Amino acid sequence: MLEFCHVNISCSFVPILHDISVRFQKGEITTIIGPNGCGKTTLLQCLNGSSKVTAGSIYLDNTDYLALSLRERARKLSFLPQVRTIIPTLPVKTLVEHGRFPHLGFARRKTQKDVKIVESAMNFTQVSPYAAQYADTLSGGIRQRAFFAMTLAQNCDYVVLDEPTTYLDLNAQQSFMDMLLQLKEQGKTIILVLHDIGQALRISDTLVIMQDRKIAAIATPEACLQQHIIEAVFDVHIKKFSDEEGNYYFFS
Amino acid sequence: MKSSSVLKKFLLLILLLTFCFLAGILLGSVPLSPKSVLRCLTGLDKDTTAYILINTVRLPRAVGACLAGMGLSTAGVILQSVMNNSLASPNTIGVNSGAGFAVMLSLMFGGSRTLGIPVAAFIGSLIATLTIYGLAYMADSSRTTIILAGITISSFLNAGINTIKLIDTDITINLTTFMIGSLSGLTFELLRFPATAILAALILSFLFARSINVLCLGDETARSLGLHVASVRLILLILSSILSGCAVSYAGLLSFVGLIIPHICRRLFGNDARYLLPCSALLGASFVLICDTLGRVLFAPFELPAGVLLSFIGGPFFLYLLFQKKGGRRINA
Repeated sequence: MLEFCHVNISCSFVPILHDISVRFQKGEITTIIGPNGCGKTTLLQCLNGSSKVTAGSIYLDNTDYLALSLRERARKLSFLPQVRTIIPTLPVKTLVEHGRFPHLGFARRKTQKDVKIVESAMNFTQVSPYAAQYADTLSGGIRQRAFFAMTLAQNCDYVVLDEPTTYLDLNAQQSFMDMLLQLKEQGKTIILVLHDIGQALRISDTLVIMQDRKIAAIATPEACLQQHIIEAVFDVHIKKFSDEEGNYYFFS
Repeated sequence: MKSSSVLKKFLLLILLLTFCFLAGILLGSVPLSPKSVLRCLTGLDKDTTAYILINTVRLPRAVGACLAGMGLSTAGVILQSVMNNSLASPNTIGVNSGAGFAVMLSLMFGGSRTLGIPVAAFIGSLIATLTIYGLAYMADSSRTTIILAGITISSFLNAGINTIKLIDTDITINLTTFMIGSLSGLTFELLRFPATAILAALILSFLFARSINVLCLGDETARSLGLHVASVRLILLILSSILSGCAVSYAGLLSFVGLIIPHICRRLFGNDARYLLPCSALLGASFVLICDTLGRVLFAPFELPAGVLLSFIGGPFFLYLLFQKKGGRRINA
């Protein structure tokens, strides 16, 4: 379980979030949703040190997460950031191998185990056919899967994804959601930010709804719908349809 | 890239460097036969003029050229990665000028050429590096702005170099050759400290290759992978300052090596720093050796400073690289 206890967070010395407490249950998919600028990214960024925790504490499986070095954190929790201004001119395989970085020291070289983990991460995200191609020559969807493979190659129990599907087309978004569900079945804990509320309702076990830099609600998708929380926060009306394949949500 | 093809290219580069190094010792205004060189190097002839020539002139010069080339090109690779800017190099961001200015200042105050000047050069280049990096970081400036700032700082410092030379006419250094970069008159004594420092910094930079790779993914991704971005960046900037500062302290403002060699190597070996760093070092060393040797041979007994040939050969070549960008693989920027 990843637990934020009364946390204050600043970004470049500007306080953004105040007194945030939230728990992310182990083995679940928890999705953070909320209007733009409500602090979703800032909340997660403190996990990799890109935003700073100025008060409060964070516990990962009951150990003090903030006391860990960045390298130790990267062995327990992998994080795929949202913005990528830099697209490396590297072959996909080399890019994915970077995921092993936190596990390698100055002296320790790549072992058979590292090679296996990299391979299975590439197979899982279906980027193996592009192993030798350069990341900057690939389409956005495949590139995103390559970065995802890098994150998975860290082989952590906790996977944090900041808007992983924002720049993907519908088909690619769908297959990304399928991958997340498979990861959950493998026992991973997944925490992500999504803008597509329909997707969030479909795949999440728990929704964390943020508004005005506060946590407005933490509840299951069903409870969120019944209590009309999403409708209040986003100022929309939701209609739900169901068939044998699952639930569909329409917003108006 | 397959490891076998990397190994092949790597061996070729080592061969090239060996060849250039030997050429640097054999060729010159007084040509020496390979046999006499071999006898001198193995210590069989100790009293011949050839022995004196090799040990006091050509060998230190070749070693100096080698290390200056290695230092400047490695510093180029590091700066490009740390600043995520393909135009960064010790020359374009004013680091060399910072070192040069410090050298002149230290000469004015009578710094010793064996220790004082290299240390001053390192400090000068570190201050210039940190200034540029600080500006880039604080203003969150675009890549072009950083290079413009670097060129401005360069010209400012070069003006400072000229002023010092005008004020203090006792300075023994030849300003023209210093500004262009030359290895003339190099001795082992002058080389001892900077050479040791360059070698040490080279080894340390190679150890950071994997961190450099991760740094190239951007700050946030690097942090997510567990890299302490701020401290690694500071260490790398210090290393690159040692490399370029020490090279400048005895070779002057050799331009271009630090810019074009990394780019050539990026095209030949890709952007993986584990290969890029050693290959840039090898190719950079070969390039400076070639230019220095040609400079001594072409108009013998007159000498063309190595920096002149670097610009003559390097300039057009770099233009060629820049404008055929569309065809080949893009330079990482």
